[in-house]
Amino acid sequence: MSGNPGRIVDGLKSLLGRDRVVDDEAVVRLYSREPSGLESQALAVVFPETVRDVSRLARYAYSRDLKLYPQGSSTSLSGSSVPLEEGVVVSFERMNQVSEVSVVDSIAVVGPGVRIDELNLMLAEKGYMFPVDPASAAVATVGGAINSGAGGMRSAKYGTMRDWVLGLQLVLPDEHGTVLRVGCRTLKCRQGYDLVRLIVGSEGTLAMVTEAILRITPLPEQVVVALAFYPELRNVAEAVVAVKEQSVQPYLMEFMDRKTVEAAAKAMNIPVETPGHMLLVGVDVNREATGRFVEWLGKTLRATGAVKLHVADTLREAEDKGFFTLRRSLFPAQIKLAREAAGSRRVLVYIEDIAVPPSRLVDAVEGLRSLEDKYGLPTMIGGHVGDGNLHPAVGFDPHNEDQARRVEEWFEEVMELALKLGGTISSEHGIGTLKRSGLRREFEHLGSAKALELMRGLKRLFDPKGILNPGKVV
Amino acid sequence: MDVKLILSLLAENVERTGYPVPVDVERIYSWAKPLNLPRGGRAVLYTGALYQLAPYINSLVRHLESLEGRRAGGLALRLAKTLGKIIDLGKVVAKADPGEIKAVEEVLRSIARLLSAAGVEYGYLYEDDMYSGVILYDMGLDEAFARHAKMVAETLEKSGASLIITVDPHTTHVLRSVFPEYVDGFGLEVKNYLEILSENIDSLKPRRGEAGYRVVIHDPCFYARHEGIVEEPRQLLRFAGLEVEEPPRSGKMTYCCGGPVEAVSPSLSRRIAETRLRELQGVGGRIVTMCPICYVNLRRVGGKVEDIALHLSRRLL
Amino acid sequence: MAAWGRSRLLEEAGKCAYCGFCEAVCPTLPYGRHRGYGPRGRVLLTAHLARGGKASPEVLSSIYTCLTCAACTLKCPAGIDIPALVRAARSLLVAVHEKTII
Ligand SMILES: Cc1cc2nc3c(=O)[nH]c(=O)nc-3n(C[C@H](O)[C@H](O)[C@H](O)COP(=O)(O)OP(=O)(O)OC[C@H]3O[C@@H](n4cnc5c(N)ncnc54)[C@H](O)[C@@H]3O)c2cc1C
Ligand code: SF4
Ligand code: SF4
Repeated sequence: MSGNPGRIVDGLKSLLGRDRVVDDEAVVRLYSREPSGLESQALAVVFPETVRDVSRLARYAYSRDLKLYPQGSSTSLSGSSVPLEEGVVVSFERMNQVSEVSVVDSIAVVGPGVRIDELNLMLAEKGYMFPVDPASAAVATVGGAINSGAGGMRSAKYGTMRDWVLGLQLVLPDEHGTVLRVGCRTLKCRQGYDLVRLIVGSEGTLAMVTEAILRITPLPEQVVVALAFYPELRNVAEAVVAVKEQSVQPYLMEFMDRKTVEAAAKAMNIPVETPGHMLLVGVDVNREATGRFVEWLGKTLRATGAVKLHVADTLREAEDKGFFTLRRSLFPAQIKLAREAAGSRRVLVYIEDIAVPPSRLVDAVEGLRSLEDKYGLPTMIGGHVGDGNLHPAVGFDPHNEDQARRVEEWFEEVMELALKLGGTISSEHGIGTLKRSGLRREFEHLGSAKALELMRGLKRLFDPKGILNPGKVV
Repeated sequence: MDVKLILSLLAENVERTGYPVPVDVERIYSWAKPLNLPRGGRAVLYTGALYQLAPYINSLVRHLESLEGRRAGGLALRLAKTLGKIIDLGKVVAKADPGEIKAVEEVLRSIARLLSAAGVEYGYLYEDDMYSGVILYDMGLDEAFARHAKMVAETLEKSGASLIITVDPHTTHVLRSVFPEYVDGFGLEVKNYLEILSENIDSLKPRRGEAGYRVVIHDPCFYARHEGIVEEPRQLLRFAGLEVEEPPRSGKMTYCCGGPVEAVSPSLSRRIAETRLRELQGVGGRIVTMCPICYVNLRRVGGKVEDIALHLSRRLL
Repeated sequence: MAAWGRSRLLEEAGKCAYCGFCEAVCPTLPYGRHRGYGPRGRVLLTAHLARGGKASPEVLSSIYTCLTCAACTLKCPAGIDIPALVRAARSLLVAVHEKTII
């Protein structure tokens, strides 16, 4: 970077206007951290309001070797949105317009700063939805979700971000701050190499997303929901098989193992009559078929050994009856338990993000439990069983060196376990800084070290000077 | 630290005069004159003067807003270098909207009449109806607040009452949930008039034969979230024969009117109020407020709003 | 309750996971210049002040524009009473500037 920090900030102010640059140290720190616990200190935050702002910023940064760190709501858990070296955070929070919703074309055209729930609130008025629903949807932005390749509870049925982004407007970190559009506003699109999918999940390392054409889909007419508790892990796996063998693709299928259910219930004061391994299944149905599916779901889950079973006709009813309370308590319970265990002021909760083929669920959970014993790290295990995505989480005190070291080793072994079971090290949270070694490991495991080389080449192609979110992913 | 100026202005006034803006004590209790309420008693009505002060505070906010507008962007608190000189509180107070003053006095009279109609026996405090000191509390002027609270508590205790009836969300919250923390041995029972009316609903009679109308309810944050008063106003409005509509954000998840930052940042306050007003208008129906701050703040952005006490008294008296 | 002192403030603010779940319901955030106008920012900035950090104009704006409406508290998975934190910070600021403020 050329020029001293004060000069850079002044330069940015005259480039974009004073109101689009904040350099108050304490405020900048708010943009230099993540829930993962990682933190640093950028020079300043800029708030582009138009694609032109972004393009001029890119050009300016290129000419001065200034590092740019794109950011949505910085809820990333992988280290991807924390600035590493001296540089400037580019916050997209002011580019939050929904410029078009077309039900006929099944698309929404939105700015990167739109929050996913906000979009869904608008779409719901038309009976539509954007189905990718990370647990952080209340705060996560479209730009952030695209770039971290987010998924959610409904992913078994609807997939992840890569299945719902049709087109993008991008700004490249090059000499001209090139603005380009890739993809289409039609569902079908054969535009040579698929640059849209390349950007999805690229964690802000290739280009800045300034607009997205998203695919939308009708809200299901009705969703019947069942909440079941099982004595044995094996039963849960059988239930998953039983549901799938009847050619039903559930709308959602969430899991928490027994220890986690007990811990969460205790931590958050949730009454659970007969604790066991929890399975929460939702199936979208036509209204007329409600009765039939409620009956079928109940029968199927009971036949596979559910000891306690609750069924609701609609999502609303399931909400009112508190079916989601346990699942949603996972994150707060993790925080609470970690604090109780660590007993110090600041704790970190590490949320892992592996996936295994759903058929290996039992092996995965048992493997995780034995790692828990090995490292003495109380672990909460919840996840999306529909797609095999598990989020084992541990809380720890980062200042406790012994604990921190154990967590690091645990972390490596969890990834190893996933690979051994034919899975992947990251399903939806991304690579960021925390999983760079894991990514290498995964490709080595696949005998495909070359893939990383290709990726590095792509990075150079998009970002010749290495100024856009450097130090992440590859 | 420019915000100090606005704060110190208000705080200084509370310390000197008992009120955040300089008004005659007479203006605080004159609303009650036509009612001949007894003085004191086992239960006393304590308004905390917030309804009465709202028009004057509003006038101050309008004034701050015009100052803020004159400078390029930025919070009132930032421009305030010369604030002490610019603002002559006396003049600001003189400019309060007489219509608004009349309206809030009518609200208080309606509340009093409703309580009587519900068979509640109570008295009034007249010149002892002091300001609760809520702004000192909000702004973190802890010691000043503790001193003021002690004074208020002593006055209330001296009245001999064991039950204090409050009429607005801020005073209710401060008296019921905050005073016990700040005033040693504060043991008076505090109830809001909506709670009392709801308890005595059987003694009230809706007027016959009059067609009801649709109202849309704006829950004040301090009722809904801090004091758990959500059902009572709905029950009363329905009992009065009105059709109650809910805005998208209501009950516990209500959306603030923006009032609490009106003095620190009038423009921010305005934008929040505009957003809320649009939301309320979108529902259709007459907009019901239950707090003097909500009332003036939504009015300041052009809202046609009316206090719940006026709706209730029209239908129940 | 009597405003929290420095150490209680830091303890409460230390519970924050920086998840941002509180932000969507905050009335001031959409109209503010930055994250400091929302609960997530406010929690961290109160801690910043409690640790003796600079009370810059941006920090003050953040702390004094809070409505103490508590919408955020209902959404916070860590159960943080954000209005109480904000008042504690305001009272710290008063204490620091005691001589000049009143
Ligand atoms: C409690 C909790 C639960 C979570 N649950 C889930 C879950 O269920 N599923 C899931 O997938 N994730 C989950 N996450 C992770 C995270 O919230 C999501 O990945 C989310 O999509 C990130 O959105 P954001 O706006 O916060 O992005 P940020 O964190 O700000 O950014 C994420 C990445 O995108 C880049 N980026 C952001 N905007 C742009 C842009 N306009 N152009 C280019 N690059 C950009 C950043 O540089 C960064 O690399 C969870 C996180 C938390 C804290
Ligand atoms: S209490 Fe303050 S931070 Fe919380 S929602 Fe209200 S204004 Fe926002
Ligand atoms: S919801 Fe609570 S824990 Fe999460 S960022 Fe807000 S204050 Fe912090």
